[in-house]
Amino acid sequence: MTAEASLETGVPDGAPTPGAPRTRGGGAVGRATPPGRGGRVLALLTGYVPRRLGQALIVLWIAFTAAFVLLQAMPGDAIMIRFENPELGLSPEQIADIRASYGVDDPVLIQYLHTFAGFIRGDFGYSVQSGTPVRQLIAEAFPQTLVLAAAGFVLAVLLAFAIAFLSASARFAWIRTALRSVPSLFVSVPVFWLGIVLIQFFSFRLGWVAVINPGPVEGLILPVLTLAVPIAAPIAQILTRSIDEVYTQPFVRVVQAKGASPSWVLWRNVLKNATLPTLTMAGILFGELIGGAVVTETVFGRSGIGRITEQAVAHQDTPVLQAVVLLAATVFVLINLAVDLIYPKLDPRLARRIGGSR
Amino acid sequence: MIRTHRGWQGAAALGATLALVLTACGSDGGSGGNGEPSGDPVTGGTLVYLEHQPHDTLYPPAAGFYPNGGLVNNITDRLVYQDPETLEFEPWIATDWEINEDATQYTFNLRSDVTFSDGSALDAEVVAANFDLYGLGDPDRALTVSEAVNNYASSEVVDADTVVFNFSAPAPGFLQATSTINSGLVSASTLEGAFEDFGPGNGQNVIGSGPFVISAEEIGTSVTLSAREDYAWAPAARENQGRAYVDEVQVTVTPEDSVRVGALTSGQADVIRYVEAQDEAQVAGAGLDIYAPQTRGVNNSLSLRFTNPILSDLRVRQALIAGIDRQQVVDTIYTENYPLATSSLSSTALGYTDLEEYYAFDPEHAAELLDEAGWTLGADGIRERDGQPLTLVVNEAAPQPRSFEALTLISQQLAEIGVDLQILRADAGTYTEAIQDADQVQIYHSMVGRADLDVIKSQYYSTNRNTLLNRDPATDAIADPELEALLAAVASEADGDTRIANSQAVQTYLAENAYVIPLFEEPQVFGSQTDVEGLSFESVGRPSFYEVWLDR
Repeated sequence: MTAEASLETGVPDGAPTPGAPRTRGGGAVGRATPPGRGGRVLALLTGYVPRRLGQALIVLWIAFTAAFVLLQAMPGDAIMIRFENPELGLSPEQIADIRASYGVDDPVLIQYLHTFAGFIRGDFGYSVQSGTPVRQLIAEAFPQTLVLAAAGFVLAVLLAFAIAFLSASARFAWIRTALRSVPSLFVSVPVFWLGIVLIQFFSFRLGWVAVINPGPVEGLILPVLTLAVPIAAPIAQILTRSIDEVYTQPFVRVVQAKGASPSWVLWRNVLKNATLPTLTMAGILFGELIGGAVVTETVFGRSGIGRITEQAVAHQDTPVLQAVVLLAATVFVLINLAVDLIYPKLDPRLARRIGGSR
Repeated sequence: MIRTHRGWQGAAALGATLALVLTACGSDGGSGGNGEPSGDPVTGGTLVYLEHQPHDTLYPPAAGFYPNGGLVNNITDRLVYQDPETLEFEPWIATDWEINEDATQYTFNLRSDVTFSDGSALDAEVVAANFDLYGLGDPDRALTVSEAVNNYASSEVVDADTVVFNFSAPAPGFLQATSTINSGLVSASTLEGAFEDFGPGNGQNVIGSGPFVISAEEIGTSVTLSAREDYAWAPAARENQGRAYVDEVQVTVTPEDSVRVGALTSGQADVIRYVEAQDEAQVAGAGLDIYAPQTRGVNNSLSLRFTNPILSDLRVRQALIAGIDRQQVVDTIYTENYPLATSSLSSTALGYTDLEEYYAFDPEHAAELLDEAGWTLGADGIRERDGQPLTLVVNEAAPQPRSFEALTLISQQLAEIGVDLQILRADAGTYTEAIQDADQVQIYHSMVGRADLDVIKSQYYSTNRNTLLNRDPATDAIADPELEALLAAVASEADGDTRIANSQAVQTYLAENAYVIPLFEEPQVFGSQTDVEGLSFESVGRPSFYEVWLDR
């Protein structure tokens, strides 16, 4: 058992085995009792996962309904904004005809059921402002935002880990205070300002990257950087704090006492345990990224969900807003589901609680 | 008497107004610092054009929105060409035309060699179908009537290249209407579509006969225009008679002002639309060209809604005019490309008459007028009458350049004479409702560009833009029937000189009654690299890329 545990915790030869309680103990349990692990997977599939999916659907339905009610409660409607605009110079009769053909003056309940039935069928209707099918708008914009958000997120995580690691490392103790103030600085930089400064300097002054009609990768560099900075900040903050906390725990001293090197302790024991709260935070932030790309996409002139949302809000384009709300809710639900399912992989004690709770 | 187009041109050209227009154009050229073209046009290359906003439809009657118009102007042809300098009419798709005496019937003879980009012929049948839609609309497909086409009744196809349009009442503005982007001719397949089919994402299916076709589109971000190789039916006035010189125009949406201007000065873009007044110095300072074509219609102005109890008093309206230092607004907020307005119409518009004496700045007189009207200064510096403060609301006109900045300055000026002017900035729904109510938005900030005498009717007539709310949207009651009659006369008189006189009568009436405070003559401001040659604009400032070539 000693040899196996040594493999599990990965302490180098010659070093005494630290009995780190939060390392991958689940693996050892799994290997010792294979049926137990199978039973847990089964339990996940029969109880936990369907239950979570059911909850997710309810959350989505509530989000849909709340969005519908709020959009109805707002003054005016998209048809009015689009066609009663004096710029079109339409007569009252012409406007009345168009309102009738859109059915905007039907009873609210009828409209709700109509819209809901459409969403169930995957028909999100048409943008009132431009007439483009909402499904087409979303289908073209979502991949763009997803790529931007994913790349921004990866960079943010790398940045956050770099900051946290450097500020925890003894070698950089002399700039620790400076490093620790970096997240506060990052979080207070306005995104639009950062975007414009990056464009002015790297594109307009140095000419390193084009902003107008760039290649697919070239076009990602500056927006990703712009997006990553404010997202990296909270992750770095949480990570640094968690690292500090884990360092104070007794098992760390045990590991140190057994002769592990400082970097070994940081990488194999501390960081692993400090990741859990960070993951929760990261899950929330990634959801925000998808919805919160408005500024970045506008400054860089990229198409994406943020731009669509901005346009739709400006014109109170109800069908588009309805779909965007549902999309954002779906992303949040999926991310949270993913985070919840990843937890047990990182912390076996959670796995036991989920799987063996019967 | 049946007038041919030559006769019509003569009548229009003889007006004293046109002489004014010509001189104005001459002086206007000074701001567009484009040098002499250096040598013969070169074919090839891609022009990178930055737009401020994405287009929202390519349905021609809705092309008034500049991002729409910039595309429609380049992918469609019109029956008649209006020379943007002289505003005279010349043959384009129509070789000649006849108008009956009371302007209720128009007959057009068409070229027989024109094809749409899908290969179908541009014949009388499809021209008739275009105007049936633009003149009558189709509410079931949410396709609106063109604002430029009035009193449309029906069309008749006489033969393959002759079409007749009938009107229920005189429609003297129809000839000019056929020359505007709102009357861009599209193919039969395009006409079958609903409003959705003209929207973003469907650009490649909107088929015109113009020098460019939409070859690629990314919704909300970019549109690629490609030159049509077999294009050979440009108006005779254009120097280019073949295909467009550039191979492609890459229209890219860049909403952020500083990015658009920076992209131009750093050489990443060739032409940009919407250079804000405060950015002009940066563009000019970089040695680049600025174009500021005028919009030639109703000036950027404030409509005083006289049905509101406060503004129903002529003295209050006159006081507002006298209390605003318009020259300071123009000098502080704008540039020399935004000339001070001297009538409700632009001095480059057809039918303009100089009424500057009505709009003089005289704060002392303004204070006297308000005193006379019973508005006395309160302790807080705001005038009041019977306990009611002299508070007025004006809308921020988001599409107009620096509306909020200008209104802020005006608000400061009016505070000097004890008037509290508040600026409405709201979400689209609240805004749309508020501007239709004279008791919520007493002063309406707007403008409209169109190079025809009808433009003044578009702005103020009860069933058009109705900016004065002369027709109460709630009750449909007309508050000032005299104004209504004067406006109707502009759009229903067949004789050109009489129409000009009628338009001038409206301008005088608006000035005498202090219904309108004109601010400035609104341009569309573009920035361009110096090696972009041949950039031109239609009569209200939409770019034409047809003769653009790159001298590099």
